[in-house]
Amino acid sequence: MQTLDLTEDEKDVLQELMNVAYGNATAVVAEMLNAFASLSIPNIKVIQTDELLATFSELKSESYFFSTQAFNGEFKGESAFFINQTSANNLAKHLELDSSEDLDDAILELTNVLTSTLTTKLSQEMDTEVSFSLPSLSKIPLQEIGKTPAFEYYSQVIVIDTDLNFKDQQIHGKIFILTKDESIQWLKTKLNSILELLI
Amino acid sequence: MAKNKTQQYIRTLDIDKKIVANIDNGIIVLDQDLKIYHFNKWLELHTGIKECNILDKKINDIFDDINSKTLKRKIKTALRIQTPTFYTASTSKYLIPIKINQFHNSSFEYMQQDVSIIPFDEEKGLVALILTDQTIMANTNALLEANIQTINELNAELLKERDTIDKKVLVIKFDKTFRIIDVSQALLELLCYDKEELLDKNFLFHEKYHMTKDCQMRLVQSMKALKVLEFEETTLSAHGHTICFKSTLIPEYSSKGIHIGFIIFRENITDSKRLAKSQEKILASSRSAAMGEMVSMIAHQWRQPLSLINTIMATLKIKKELEKLSEKDINEAFAKIQTTTSYLSDTIDDFRDYFKPNKKSSEVNILSLFDNSIFFLKEVMHQNNIEYKIDVTQNISIDTYKNELLQSIINIIRNSIDAFIFSDVEILNKQISVNIQKLESHISIIITDNAGGIQKDVLQRVFEPYFSTKSKNGTGLGLHMCHTIITGHLKGNIIMTSNENLTTTLIELPYTILKGIK
Repeated sequence: MQTLDLTEDEKDVLQELMNVAYGNATAVVAEMLNAFASLSIPNIKVIQTDELLATFSELKSESYFFSTQAFNGEFKGESAFFINQTSANNLAKHLELDSSEDLDDAILELTNVLTSTLTTKLSQEMDTEVSFSLPSLSKIPLQEIGKTPAFEYYSQVIVIDTDLNFKDQQIHGKIFILTKDESIQWLKTKLNSILELLI
Repeated sequence: MAKNKTQQYIRTLDIDKKIVANIDNGIIVLDQDLKIYHFNKWLELHTGIKECNILDKKINDIFDDINSKTLKRKIKTALRIQTPTFYTASTSKYLIPIKINQFHNSSFEYMQQDVSIIPFDEEKGLVALILTDQTIMANTNALLEANIQTINELNAELLKERDTIDKKVLVIKFDKTFRIIDVSQALLELLCYDKEELLDKNFLFHEKYHMTKDCQMRLVQSMKALKVLEFEETTLSAHGHTICFKSTLIPEYSSKGIHIGFIIFRENITDSKRLAKSQEKILASSRSAAMGEMVSMIAHQWRQPLSLINTIMATLKIKKELEKLSEKDINEAFAKIQTTTSYLSDTIDDFRDYFKPNKKSSEVNILSLFDNSIFFLKEVMHQNNIEYKIDVTQNISIDTYKNELLQSIINIIRNSIDAFIFSDVEILNKQISVNIQKLESHISIIITDNAGGIQKDVLQRVFEPYFSTKSKNGTGLGLHMCHTIITGHLKGNIIMTSNENLTTTLIELPYTILKGIK
């Protein structure tokens, strides 16, 4: 199989685009939750699925909520959002939620907002459109993620991961934007055309 | 032309409106204050509420269950990010309560809904809520979850069982090519092997040095015929210890019934083998002890005839010295000596005969058997003034091992005699009596002595090996041997009881050894 990797230039452009998207996402999340939020500088890399699963399993220190949301269009893929129990509890407290179902809903909402804002902004920059599937909260125990068929469809993925922090509320989450092979190819083409415009 | 016509026709239709009106989804248009702008036909039909009655009203006033805070937040977010926000059936169940009328949807009372909140009119702050019925999916999920729960429970149970089997049961598995594919932890521990040392090895090759040719052949034959085989095998542990197994070979089949290999269940019988061996040893030493006793009995038997010969010889010598020895005297003396020596010879023969264990059972007349026993003992009984009585109502014969039974009888009577000899008190009317009876399924032999009885704690232990009350004089094997012979070889029972000064030994024997006592 052809190995698709991003050149330094491509990475730079993507990083710039992501920074814009993240700025936007941060503002929306902060507005939605009525709290001061910050997102760390996105970390972008192309990795093999095995590595991704290893990264996921590193997160399983304590019980985690794990949600995913697919997005479709020329730029398509899936987002995976991780938030641990403590952070989830803090989120529930902040939103004054009554039940665990409300908490699940709030986590899905957070996933949706992050996925939507990040990918919409990114797509706009790249002159394309995306649509979103409903997010879903995974009941699969983290140690079994590797066995989840969905992840077998990826051979390599672009991982854009960032930490979401609400300092005052002690809420930390980690979101991965994952794209498959064909999207990586599309992305490379798109990034190069943007590069040409810049030069 | 055709294309233009189609386009013209399409324009005359209000496609969006018609389709939206008939779409299988609920559609509500709301503003940020949750005021209703549109409530489609689907919702009218499902809720029984007419759009005209609720326009301009707040949706949370119509449906009390709605959490207005959450809904407002979602609407605000959708308008802000200009992409949809959602409620999902899996977490939020439903937004608009719609009772389910289908019987097979038994898990839920209300329709389970996915709701997409789509930004509709940014200026006016309107959103469209699109409701999708997800009840069937939710139902399937609930069912699946319940089944997963059951499966997990069963799986946990199975794993526990497997763990127990692994730890407790001696099992080895190999495939059709005899490649070892699994060995239980219990067997590995017993054989002192690591699993890796045995896995992938050829079972037959690994075992062949320890197995007899005959056993190997039977094993291979059963494997070929896919038959169950029970066999005994001896193998060596990694540390060189001999381990005896009683094993069962079972062909293994896949869930589709295809033969995939074999399982051997093993039972460690090393200890019982060892016990049997020591039992044999005890029996052997009890035989030699009995022989020793018998030699002393023979000595008793011989004393009198030997002194007879001595007397005859002395008489001959005196007569010769007095020159009164006639031809007739010599002939008479020789004849007497001959009779006596042949008697001595017979005694030896009998002795030798009786102490050879029988290989085959034979018809044994019980009365003559007792006569034979008493022959060896009558001298010592006579010396100790012990009266011997036997009471047999009928002529009784059974099929048994003669010499084994004879030895046992002698032992028991000898024990009674010893009880008299070693008694601390003077016993009047010393008596050993035997009563033999023919019963329906077996014969009973009751031997009673009045030598003072046996204490209860002693009585409980009389059949144990090396148990003796006679200190230096006993080997402690006599009665143990009797017990082993009668219950083991002769398929009978032996019970000893004591009452006041009487000791009674009850022996029950089957009519034929093959059938045993029913």
